[in-house]
Amino acid sequence: MAKIDTLKEEARKLLQDGKVKYIIGYGAGSNGWPAAPLFIKQPEDVDKLIWDPTCIHNLVRFLVDEKRRKGKEKPPDKRPVGIFVKGCDSRAIVVLLQEKFIERGDVYILGISCEKAGVVDDAKLAKKLAGKKVITIEVDDENRFVLTTAGGKIEVPVEELLAERCLECRANFPVIYDVLSGEKTKRAVDKPFGSVEKIESLPVEERWAFWKEQIDKCIRCYACRSACPMCYCDECVVDSIQLAVSADTTADEKAGRIKWIQRSAAPSENMIYHLVRAIHLGGRCIDCGECERVCPLDIPLRLLNKKLEKEAKELFDYEVGFDPDLPALISSFRDDDPQDFIR
Amino acid sequence: MEKTLAKKDFPQWVKKLTSWKIYLPKKDAGGRWNYAEADGEDVLETRQATLPPKTILFPQNEILLEFSKSRKGNAETLEVKEVLPPAEPTVVFGVRPCEAKAAWLLDEVFASEPRDIYYWMRRENTTLVGLACTPPPSDNCFCTSVEGSPHAEEGSDILLTDLGDKYYVRSLTAKGEALINAAKGLFEEAKPEDRKKVKAVHTESEKKIQRELKGARAVSEKLKTMFDSPFWDEEAMSCLRCGICTYICPSCHCFDINDEIIDTTPLRGKRVRTWDTCQFPDFTMHSSGHNPRPDKASRLRQRLLHKFQYFVQVYDKFMCVGCGRCITMCPVGIDIIKVLEKVRDHGA
Amino acid sequence: MAEEFEPRIVAFLCKWCSSAGSDLAGVSRMEYPPNVVPIQVMCSGSVSPLYIFSAFNKGADGVLVSGCHPGDCHYIKGNYYARRRLNLVKQLLEYIGLEPERFQMSWISAAEGTKYTQVIKDFVKELKPLGPQSKLRRTP
Ligand code: SF4
Ligand code: SF4
Ligand code: SF4
Ligand code: SF4
Ligand code: FES
Repeated sequence: MAKIDTLKEEARKLLQDGKVKYIIGYGAGSNGWPAAPLFIKQPEDVDKLIWDPTCIHNLVRFLVDEKRRKGKEKPPDKRPVGIFVKGCDSRAIVVLLQEKFIERGDVYILGISCEKAGVVDDAKLAKKLAGKKVITIEVDDENRFVLTTAGGKIEVPVEELLAERCLECRANFPVIYDVLSGEKTKRAVDKPFGSVEKIESLPVEERWAFWKEQIDKCIRCYACRSACPMCYCDECVVDSIQLAVSADTTADEKAGRIKWIQRSAAPSENMIYHLVRAIHLGGRCIDCGECERVCPLDIPLRLLNKKLEKEAKELFDYEVGFDPDLPALISSFRDDDPQDFIR
Repeated sequence: MEKTLAKKDFPQWVKKLTSWKIYLPKKDAGGRWNYAEADGEDVLETRQATLPPKTILFPQNEILLEFSKSRKGNAETLEVKEVLPPAEPTVVFGVRPCEAKAAWLLDEVFASEPRDIYYWMRRENTTLVGLACTPPPSDNCFCTSVEGSPHAEEGSDILLTDLGDKYYVRSLTAKGEALINAAKGLFEEAKPEDRKKVKAVHTESEKKIQRELKGARAVSEKLKTMFDSPFWDEEAMSCLRCGICTYICPSCHCFDINDEIIDTTPLRGKRVRTWDTCQFPDFTMHSSGHNPRPDKASRLRQRLLHKFQYFVQVYDKFMCVGCGRCITMCPVGIDIIKVLEKVRDHGA
Repeated sequence: MAEEFEPRIVAFLCKWCSSAGSDLAGVSRMEYPPNVVPIQVMCSGSVSPLYIFSAFNKGADGVLVSGCHPGDCHYIKGNYYARRRLNLVKQLLEYIGLEPERFQMSWISAAEGTKYTQVIKDFVKELKPLGPQSKLRRTP
């Protein structure tokens, strides 16, 4: 397991020299989960940083907050923000760079390689622990998770507890970084789209039944949207206000605004929300799995996004989040893009 | 009324209640607990469902009225029809005492004048059968810190306590009694030794509560001084501003009302009340475009102040029942106990 | 069913080619089924996926997007963007279990009145056996 001691020292130096505004990393979590996002401003707090397989969150999402904050600062503090990223998270930075949402100088990237492991899945872990509370999780030399509980240690091969996305991960070390901790060992993945193919192979009515059952559960808490680093629109189609209101906006204009999606968490409206979310992430989702992790109803949202990642690859030979200089998937085309579906 | 019911007879009781619609916590295919309709294979377990039974008393979508426009010659008429909730007698079994207590808090809001008829009809028609927690179902339970307990009676019509092979059945309201009377033959009079046992079980489960917020009342006082503190900015740094903590909370009750169009030619639609939350940016958005709660710090502050300061000032009760859901389910580990402890100790 | 099911098709037609093509079919008195609700857009590239989802949500049984042939777009590249984007929309809709026949795309030039009528005829024929689209339709 990568050790972050070197990154901690780097973080301390960055803060001491005033080179970064603050650092976004992982610290001790609450009673629900061992790790949680941590924001550090003082060099002496650097020792609160941790790194273990429960550092599941994609911190890149907080760069969206930072951009908004900077927009309000007078004058703006233009120093970069230090940020800890895993392989998948680093691809999110690539997408934000591609889209010019941020500039390279806005971030100082402290990369960590997952090496041959990755992060644990909360549901799988809970099942394994069967009520026990985990104190620490580590990866040993034989690539097993070692779970320390009050009742002793439990050892499990990583594959058993890894998050689904880790099992299909094609970037287990950061693709972009300023400093890196850990080895750039590539973990073999035989079926990067295996989970999607399973759904694709179902007959159309079964596919519908599957998705309908899942999407009907949605309570529209929008945690999936809020957790996503790419969902950075100031105004989302589902929000009840999508009208730039000025002093001159009339009541009629306000009343007549288009409501694409009704507020009721009804099956049809939930479905449209999820279609929009998925398509807006087409060629942008880097499969950090945050939307699925945060969903309180366990809706398998990854499988929606991953489908479009697969199509991007298969139809357009487009790989999401590896090359910051590549134009975005849907703002580019090739003359020979497939069109056999067009009459 | 105090009775006992042999555990093996519980399904019988459920079966006898033919004129009630019945819900109880059930495990779904994915392994989550939810309040679902009885299906003939009904056992009670001390579990915390993902969504509290507030979904039954205060559903996420409530149609308030329906409207339609029609045209005869040149005259246009708009017809408006009030829609009331179905007056179905309903029972919810196995309600956590904190969840029932949350209903008792919702009563303050919706059932005091002017009474909210939609809530009230559902509440009147619903019998809540609490089940004392033995043991507390979540590591994050802290009911005992907010003037509650794993065997609290507020809001319940009946409180059951698990005594091993039987339930101790304490009826608290006329609605509760009706439920017992519907299956009279199944119950026995409670004996003094049952009562003794109940006490022991209750004390035991209180001891098993793992989390504690010391000095909750002092927190309320302290909050009054912290509205303008930069503290909230720090605490909210990691907040995602999602709706989880409030939507899953048994006592959160904010809503929005919208007219939703079903058809345009001719116009037909409905007015719907839906859950809303102080955590969403558009919750406080004025039509002028001004937003008095412009950032997540002010929204986190609102959530805690509503629960621990404003509600206490108005009703002399906490608007948090200590179920711990928001702690367990917050995707970034924002822990209401820890935040309130920091408030309490702030500047000390 | 006593009466035969008549599908409703929402067709987003670009102003410069496909819409002109449909006009040609009209003024030439070509016969084609009256099942289409045409919506003129400036370019196939201006059709947001949301328009398509929304049409289904509001009760369309089928949705057609039609633009100029590749190389002929009035805005040079609009239809190339549309081709990419709407391919993704098509894949997504099929993946969630909407019948693949329900969403179609075509290239129809201003001179192709006959092609327009043919596309509509075929579309209607394919939609009929499917019956009304209720999967994405607004829950009443
Ligand atoms: S997180 Fe889950 S419940 Fe919440 S809006 Fe997204 S899919 Fe729906
Ligand atoms: S908070 Fe108390 S009453 Fe609520 S579930 Fe936990 S132990 Fe039971
Ligand atoms: S506190 Fe947690 S659950 Fe609540 S809005 Fe913030 S991130 Fe979501
Ligand atoms: S605020 Fe949190 S702990 Fe308190 S009642 Fe609501 S969800 Fe439960
Ligand atoms: S103008 Fe016809 S497709 Fe662009």
